Amino acid sequence: MFDVEKVRNDFPILKRKIHGHDLVFLDSGATSQKPESVLSAMNDYYHNTNANIHRGVYELSSESTRLVDEARGKIAAFIGAKKEEIIFTRNASESINLVMYSWGKENIGSGDAVLVSRLEHHSNLVPWQELCREKGAELRIIDVDANGNLKMTGDEKKTVTENGLTVRLGSFESLLDDKIKMFAITGASNVLGTRPDIQNMIKRVKRATGEAKVLVDASQMVPHMKVNVNVLGADFLVFSGHKMLGPTGVGVLWGKNEILSKMKPFLFGGDMIGEVKLTGATWADIPSRFEAGTPDIAGIVGLGAAIDYLNKLGMENVQIYEKSLMDYALQKMSVLENEGVIKMYGPKDAEDRGGALPFNITGVHAHDAAQILDSFGIAVRSGQHCAAPLVTGFGVPAMVRVTFYIYNTIGEIDYLVEKIRNVPKVFA
Amino acid sequence: MCLKYSRSSSLITMLDYKEIIVDHYKNPRNFGELEGADLTLDETNASCGDMIRIQVKTQKLKNSKTQNGEGDLVIVDMKWRGVGCAISTAAASMLSEKIVGMNKKDLEQYGEAGVVEMLGGEVNPGRMKCATLAYRGLLKIFENNG
Repeated sequence: MFDVEKVRNDFPILKRKIHGHDLVFLDSGATSQKPESVLSAMNDYYHNTNANIHRGVYELSSESTRLVDEARGKIAAFIGAKKEEIIFTRNASESINLVMYSWGKENIGSGDAVLVSRLEHHSNLVPWQELCREKGAELRIIDVDANGNLKMTGDEKKTVTENGLTVRLGSFESLLDDKIKMFAITGASNVLGTRPDIQNMIKRVKRATGEAKVLVDASQMVPHMKVNVNVLGADFLVFSGHKMLGPTGVGVLWGKNEILSKMKPFLFGGDMIGEVKLTGATWADIPSRFEAGTPDIAGIVGLGAAIDYLNKLGMENVQIYEKSLMDYALQKMSVLENEGVIKMYGPKDAEDRGGALPFNITGVHAHDAAQILDSFGIAVRSGQHCAAPLVTGFGVPAMVRVTFYIYNTIGEIDYLVEKIRNVPKVFA
Repeated sequence: MCLKYSRSSSLITMLDYKEIIVDHYKNPRNFGELEGADLTLDETNASCGDMIRIQVKTQKLKNSKTQNGEGDLVIVDMKWRGVGCAISTAAASMLSEKIVGMNKKDLEQYGEAGVVEMLGGEVNPGRMKCATLAYRGLLKIFENNG
């Protein structure tokens, strides 16, 4: 049984007042809040264990090394992976850049294609734009329909060439052929909440190409649902610790052992080497090969504690609870939409979407709406959500976005809906 | 602005929406196309999608303080169009009135601080990009044509 009041008690920040009101934090899609157990794990690390890893033979250093190793194991188990396949980065963006630099630059050339979707966060779009431009490869973008779902069938829409990059926009089916070497796709849109049927799409890409690699941006997926890399069929999966109760500064790249083992390093320096001579070096095995320099040890420990917290709740329970919030929010917000107070974007059914709900208040710019809601203690995101081509595709310059997590409540949704009604009055 | 809001304890944030801002937002001054404009510039706020097109008429005016032969570029008329939030719209509207008669130096002296002052003395840090959209566009006009 999911007890939200018990959960809320674990998050110290939720006791804060914002402009005199209780904090209603509805921006977990940008970063989540952190439970006491995560904060104290990091605090405890600095108070009692702090020492660099892999360096010393003394007690503190071996304890630190063990803590990082344990956290790696927890994360691996959390997504059904092997421990050595978990690489710590700074964030999901860096994980994607690692794959682009280390795998993409070696394996993608002129005449090849990279397939992405219009749902992508800039972090899963811009690296591929730059790679394709440099290599003379084609960037193919699966378009979205008016409801924010990926267009699976239908004709190709258009081809644009600008600054040496050719972009083809169309349906999944129209863009699928054996020129594709990389399929980089989000598991859940950070703006619309859309959850494409990636398992099926990955199967079809593999069938059509044979050798294409698949990267899943799971930043909005891993915090909210059970993910198993063995079931998904992808080759790489990336996510950020800070969106799943962990601290900022730690991201994860998962990759299949046989692929990672053949990749060259991304960053050079300490800890990633095998043997170093004055004239060169050999590379360490994975995961060390991709972890140059001292990592964010306390952050990794914190992320381990976050995984413990989520495991204790159970990811199935997390998913069921969040879906109940989304069901309720969609129902309440639909009433506002029918009255003409707001316009919503994205899939209309909670079955098809993660915990993101974007909208605009009629006649009010998203930034104004967000600032007025803030004056009632409600934290929502406004703008283009690092997905400009997606947002502007709906014919608006910006959207307000509400995202839910385990500590949000039905009462908060009621409060949001009540305050949304107040917003237009400021400009009346 | 509703009294209800200014009475709330959230006064600080709501200061951004004082009457003058709401007035300029609802009735933007100098909004539209400037016939016979000699300079046009588009400025965007990449993070939020706001965009503004500024059109101005200018004159070269001799100024005793500056010794260059041609004289300084001075804006004598401005119109603007664009999509934006209340803050960026009100700022553009108010600035379109203030800018008449200014040269580059005048605008630089006016500065972002002047824009904040113009908007009532208080702008949420997260909204500074909105507040200074038109200001940045006008600065660019001077820089590109100085």
